[in-house]
Amino acid sequence: MRRVETDGGVSTADDAESTADPTETDSDSEKLVDVSSSFTVSDDDEGRPQAAETAIETRDLDVYYGDDQALQSVSMEIPERQVTALIGPSGCGKSTFLRCLNRMNDLIDIAHVDGEVRFKDKNIYDEDVDPVALRRKIGMVFQQPNPFPKSIYDNVGFGLEVQDKPVTDETVRRALERAALLEEIDGRLDESGLELSGGQQQRLCIARAIAPDPDVILMDEPASALDPVATSKIEDLITDLAEEYTVIIVTHNMQQAARISDKTAVFLTGGELVEYGDTEAIFENPDNQRVEDYITGKFG
Amino acid sequence: MNGESALTRGATDRDVKEKLVGVLLFSCAALTIFVTASILFTLVYDTVTFFGFEETSIIGFLTELEWEPRNGFYGVWPLVSSTLIVTVVSALVAIPIGTAAAVYLSEYASPKMRSVIKPALEILAGIPTVVYGYLALVYLTPWLRSIGLPLGSFNLLSASIMVGILIVPMVSSLSEDAMSAVPDSLRQAGYGLGATKYEVSTRIVIPAAVSGVFSSYILALSRAIGETMIVVMAGGLQTNLFDPLDPFGSLAGSGRTMTAAMVNAVTSDATGGSPEYYSMFAIGLSLFAITFLMNLASNRIAARYREVYQ
Amino acid sequence: MASETPTSETWFGSAEKVGRLRGRVFKWTCLGATVLTLALMLVFLLYVANDAFRPLSADPGWLATMGLTVVVPIALLAGYYYRRDRSAGQVAYTALGLPVLVALASGGLWLLFRHIVTPREWFVLVVSIVVAGGIVVGHSRVRHDAVTERLVVTVLVPLLVVVGIPTVVPGLGQLLYLLPVLPNTLFSLLLGFVLPVAAVVGWRIRDVRDDDRDGAIAAGITAVGGLAGLAVGPLVGIHPTSWFVFAAPIVGALVVYVEHVVRTDKGRSGLAFPVVVAAGIAAGLAATQLLGFAGPNAWLDMQFLTSPHSTTPTDAGIYPTLVGSVLILIVIVLSAFPVGIGAAIYLEEYATSQGRFGTVMELIQVNIANLAGVPSIVYGVLGLAIFINLIGMGRGTAVVAGFTVGLLILPIIIISTQEAIRAVPDSHRQASYAMGATKWQTVRNVVLPESLAGIFTGTILALGRAIGETAPLLMIGVAATVRVSPDSFLSRTGAMPRQIFSWSTQITTEFRYGVLAAGVVTLLVVLLTMNAAAIVLRNRSQQN
Repeated sequence: MRRVETDGGVSTADDAESTADPTETDSDSEKLVDVSSSFTVSDDDEGRPQAAETAIETRDLDVYYGDDQALQSVSMEIPERQVTALIGPSGCGKSTFLRCLNRMNDLIDIAHVDGEVRFKDKNIYDEDVDPVALRRKIGMVFQQPNPFPKSIYDNVGFGLEVQDKPVTDETVRRALERAALLEEIDGRLDESGLELSGGQQQRLCIARAIAPDPDVILMDEPASALDPVATSKIEDLITDLAEEYTVIIVTHNMQQAARISDKTAVFLTGGELVEYGDTEAIFENPDNQRVEDYITGKFG
Repeated sequence: MNGESALTRGATDRDVKEKLVGVLLFSCAALTIFVTASILFTLVYDTVTFFGFEETSIIGFLTELEWEPRNGFYGVWPLVSSTLIVTVVSALVAIPIGTAAAVYLSEYASPKMRSVIKPALEILAGIPTVVYGYLALVYLTPWLRSIGLPLGSFNLLSASIMVGILIVPMVSSLSEDAMSAVPDSLRQAGYGLGATKYEVSTRIVIPAAVSGVFSSYILALSRAIGETMIVVMAGGLQTNLFDPLDPFGSLAGSGRTMTAAMVNAVTSDATGGSPEYYSMFAIGLSLFAITFLMNLASNRIAARYREVYQ
Repeated sequence: MASETPTSETWFGSAEKVGRLRGRVFKWTCLGATVLTLALMLVFLLYVANDAFRPLSADPGWLATMGLTVVVPIALLAGYYYRRDRSAGQVAYTALGLPVLVALASGGLWLLFRHIVTPREWFVLVVSIVVAGGIVVGHSRVRHDAVTERLVVTVLVPLLVVVGIPTVVPGLGQLLYLLPVLPNTLFSLLLGFVLPVAAVVGWRIRDVRDDDRDGAIAAGITAVGGLAGLAVGPLVGIHPTSWFVFAAPIVGALVVYVEHVVRTDKGRSGLAFPVVVAAGIAAGLAATQLLGFAGPNAWLDMQFLTSPHSTTPTDAGIYPTLVGSVLILIVIVLSAFPVGIGAAIYLEEYATSQGRFGTVMELIQVNIANLAGVPSIVYGVLGLAIFINLIGMGRGTAVVAGFTVGLLILPIIIISTQEAIRAVPDSHRQASYAMGATKWQTVRNVVLPESLAGIFTGTILALGRAIGETAPLLMIGVAATVRVSPDSFLSRTGAMPRQIFSWSTQITTEFRYGVLAAGVVTLLVVLLTMNAAAIVLRNRSQQN
């Protein structure tokens, strides 16, 4: 099997083990308690949400796999604590874009990235950024559920462990609860994660991703491998998660995007971001003709 | 011939040929059962003969602490203890090195490094045991003595180290297969959670591959137990029982393993019908049983890991 | 716009940079352990080579001359290939390795002719086989449909022609002996070996190029290469018959390979490599002769390779055991290979997995896997008990040794052949069945040709294992030292690894450090060549 990955690490200095960020607790409490106007949820008179803070901003992001250009100058601002959906026909760069946000594309030898991705006031592609540190702030859930062949408890605890956070019953159970899984498997936390059904496995992966309390959760078609019942559970879950986390979800299912997302970005062939805006606007009244064609099913 | 009969079964000649070919090939496959049956039959039959002598008894074989056919002692423990010493020391050599090689090749090696190290390990695997024995006797022992270890010219330490090196390619190749079989999606999940490569390799890949790795250890050790030439050439033929109060002494001196004893039974001056001659079958049966059980265990464990990824 | 949160400036800072030290140490430790072990073995092998060849005992001038004419050009060319033209490099190494490999095989044949089958007997055998084959082919042409009849003919005719019915009907061979005139050794080899080899080469070229004339040319070149021995041999000091046995296959193989390279037009410049090497060696030898430099006083020299064992270390040699090993190999190839490959074909293509028969098949499969793990010494005991004691074959003969070691590698052959067969995509089989082919037709025309490279690789590796196995030989009484080469498959023989073992029990320094080293190097050279050939074969078949 060809796994052309490098560590993707930037650090060249022999640093000591990372210590916990002393300011992290502050940001946690800020996130949970602060309901000042820097938050997004209040609607204005016409029912549109007011301008929210930007969690991630990309500027002229280009991605090349070898000589093929997979993304063309994508610039967008993704708001905090909302669900942003990336839709478009297959092969037009949605997953590539998603993987840029947590630098998972670093693991692919022939991938080359130009442009900026700004997170917390810093371009994550700068020389002095450690991708591993980045991925501790930005979590990811994959299309195929991929729980480790460990117990449910150890699965959820893994992310906490590698990030030097304490693995306690409380944190594990809280994560499982937030992922709407605890009720179904309570008392069975010692069982292997592989014994669960597909939908449960995916929720386990979500619990695993949110246990270390990232700021952003990236989801690459999280429900496409699941049956409709499991899918709707995942969708409900996503809506809940958005109250605490910024969720960016790639989906090929337009109805799903219309159901759960606040903002939608439409990618069309060649990695081009054609339109980006509030979900209602995109679906009911798109500006771009090609977008309208895509949404009404004329192609893709 | 009209169309109808062209479709019905007519070509009986070809059928005959096909059948004949099938029977021929089947007999080739069935021969393998015959081989195992022969091995078992021979060993058991002649072991019974062995125990039929005056000087020998099953209880004595299993409990006496001395193996000296000249004087009528047929206790198997000295042989077993030497075999165990060789196995343990070779495991101490082969398991760390083989696993390290497997981890490196599976998780860290660039294609260029792979293209150098893998063939090198394969070449290592192709070197015959008699050459390893020669290297132990003629080069390793003098070298170890020159750095100060008080070893006899025949000693189990050199032999064990060489047996260890002999089985390194086995451990590394089988373990690497097990590690490479871990699906990449698990590594991706690990990276996505902010794990470093080291954490992914040691906390995700290796635990996931542990059954396969473990089964490779057992297979390799089974090979070490059955190894003959290295221990005969470098370990000498003097029987010694392991002395727990002087472990290094057992290593530094010579020791006759089970396999060496079998060789001795044939090449020594033992006459054709003597109990010493037949001892080779009794020892051989024990050896066969041990390696058979180990191989069985290894297969069971390996089968278990294959299930995990369904 | 991103707001100024108090934490933003530190999430990526040096305090957050995740420590990689542990990982780095781990990686380098793993690499280090591996490399150290490999290096240790390399050092040992270099010591052995040094003891065998003793390069430092040569004149410095000799070393310098040979270095200039051989080592330097090789290094330069190798560097050039590595930098500029990788495919040429591949061609170069294959072009060099192929003649070496063929020379080894020819060496085995040469030993066979020298000791077991006289060229005249060989010639008679070849004639008989050709006649029998002609009859069978002619019969199949004429009586197209009678399959059972053809089967009977195919089995009986060769038997009758070659062997005849003992005491009743003489085989063709025996009849031929009655002729007043029979070709002498030279002509026997010419007609019985050189011409058939040339014919095979010509046939292959004709097939590949689809051109009768090219085939004829190829055959001609091979024949001339062989015949050249008549003229060149006496000049160089090689008997023409030896030249026949070596030159014909080597030239033939080179013709096939060169044609392949020329046709695919990749890396042609690699063909220069063996020429440079050969020219360099020849020039170096001539120069050192001229300049009077003395070569190394090596233990491993022609004298070693051609003499029998002796209690005087400087006279001791490995020759008879070489012959013995070759004989054993031949027995293995003729007995274990067909059985092993046949069993693998059955298990992969014919065996079902359903029902009671399916469980028997599974049992056989499990049994084979277990047999592969049985210690080699137990196979020796098996050989002793069954072949020698029970059946009554002679102790330590090539036949017994071949059967015993053959049984040892049988599981290996089966498993590797199974893997090669499994690698053939099922869609190919389906396509064949869909055309109405029978199972055997599918196997013979689709599965076997595609898996042939993999089967070869596996069998060469198994053969390599067989050459080095010593413990079984000890048990079945293969001779510890031999002074005389075996003259038949049924006479007591020695074998290389057995000889090495008995030399290791000698205490005198010259034996232990000189003769023994030479023997080990001989064995290793044969082995490494075979393994290298197998690896190259596997790489090339994987590339396609």
